[in-house]
Amino acid sequence: MLEIAGVSKRFGTLEVLRDVSLSVRSGEVVVVIGPSGSGKTTLLRCINMLEDYEQGTVVVDGEPVGYRFESTTGRRQRMSERDIAASREKIGIVFQSYNLFPHMTALQNIVAAPVRVRGIPRARAEARARELLAMVGLSDKASEYPVRLSGGQQQRVAIARALAMDPKIMLFDEVTSALDPELVGEVLAAIQQLARDGMTMIVVTHEMSFARDVADRIVFMDGGAIAEQGEPDQVFFAPRSERVRLFLKRYNDRYRI
Amino acid sequence: MKEFAPLLHGYWYLLRGAGMTVLMAGVAVLPATLCGIVIALAQVFGNRFARGAVVAYLFVIRGIPLLVLLTFVYYLLPLTGIDLPPFWGVVLVLAFYYAAFMSEVFRAGILSLPRAQWDAARSLGMTRQLMMRIVIFPQALRLAAPPFVSLCVSLVKATSLVSIVGLWELTMASREIVERTLAPFQIFIGAACVYFCICYTLALYGKYLERRALVGH
Repeated sequence: MLEIAGVSKRFGTLEVLRDVSLSVRSGEVVVVIGPSGSGKTTLLRCINMLEDYEQGTVVVDGEPVGYRFESTTGRRQRMSERDIAASREKIGIVFQSYNLFPHMTALQNIVAAPVRVRGIPRARAEARARELLAMVGLSDKASEYPVRLSGGQQQRVAIARALAMDPKIMLFDEVTSALDPELVGEVLAAIQQLARDGMTMIVVTHEMSFARDVADRIVFMDGGAIAEQGEPDQVFFAPRSERVRLFLKRYNDRYRI
Repeated sequence: MKEFAPLLHGYWYLLRGAGMTVLMAGVAVLPATLCGIVIALAQVFGNRFARGAVVAYLFVIRGIPLLVLLTFVYYLLPLTGIDLPPFWGVVLVLAFYYAAFMSEVFRAGILSLPRAQWDAARSLGMTRQLMMRIVIFPQALRLAAPPFVSLCVSLVKATSLVSIVGLWELTMASREIVERTLAPFQIFIGAACVYFCICYTLALYGKYLERRALVGH
């Protein structure tokens, strides 16, 4: 479903991503963990071309996103803004800071893209939006503005908004890191439901027990590269690399997986 | 109270002058706002040349007093062969002058939106035009509305300067009555009150917009 091949990116002299390659199967849930600054967020942002990157390609569902290889020259070429915008429709992303549009109600937030980008008739888009709101448990909040919603509720609306475009893959960038602890559970539950329904997902998180519950595969990133990946039980309890061991030990000292 | 007789006799003339003031300001505000938006967009999205032209224009406007600009255009423009009725001449200068400040206000509104809003809109597959129309502009304009109204108030007061080049509006009307009645104190108190009423009404509207701007924040 998703093929990341040799992605490298630098900010000035700092190499944030070093030749990162990752394959994600359809329906698979990949959880990315790692220390701050390891490039996890940058990787997600590169996948849907919120950031340019110097090398590598990203292919989603057989179609390139952002850069494609020119068949004539064999060189990588940046797609047009129009094409990039179109290819972003297949990728849904939920951010740490929710990023809802504050001047629209929850329902309007969800239908804005389907109606304006896809041209779906408003009535049909609103019906689907209400389905999605019901799925995340917020049917009664359709006419509320984001300012009236709690962080957890806003995040769930953000998830519904991303799902409204029927993406092939969902990206979650530390979506619970900005939430009060008691609101984290409702968001994780929504993500877990999505996983059970078979959505392909990449989840960046610090919630280790959640990672263990929901992941089909754990990817550990450090210093811009993938240091280790494997089944959750293997990575958490029998890591092969020393860096992972150190990271988990520090984590285990404070919490418990 | 009999000292105020000149004002009581002349107030209707003053109000007619006020009508002209409001007309002048009202006609100047529209092109000023539209140009302000275009200039702001040119600065945010334009290429090097567009941005360079805009910066030069802003430097000039901020460096020259409006009165000097008005006098300059009023006396020098006819020499270039352009035959413009005085009313439209001053309205254009006012619009040209205030567009600069309005563009800065709109630019600040656009740039003060968090990057996250752009990210979210782009991630949903929106093109730049769509994103500007339904996400950025509505929010930027709401943010820019209060300082924008302040600029409109300033524009209303700036119309008093056109009296120096001989155009007729509230200040000119006041001066005419003072010349006849030699009662500057009473007349100008009257003029000040009229200006105050116009500007205060605008300012109240600005306060209302400010409250509305906070919807959703």
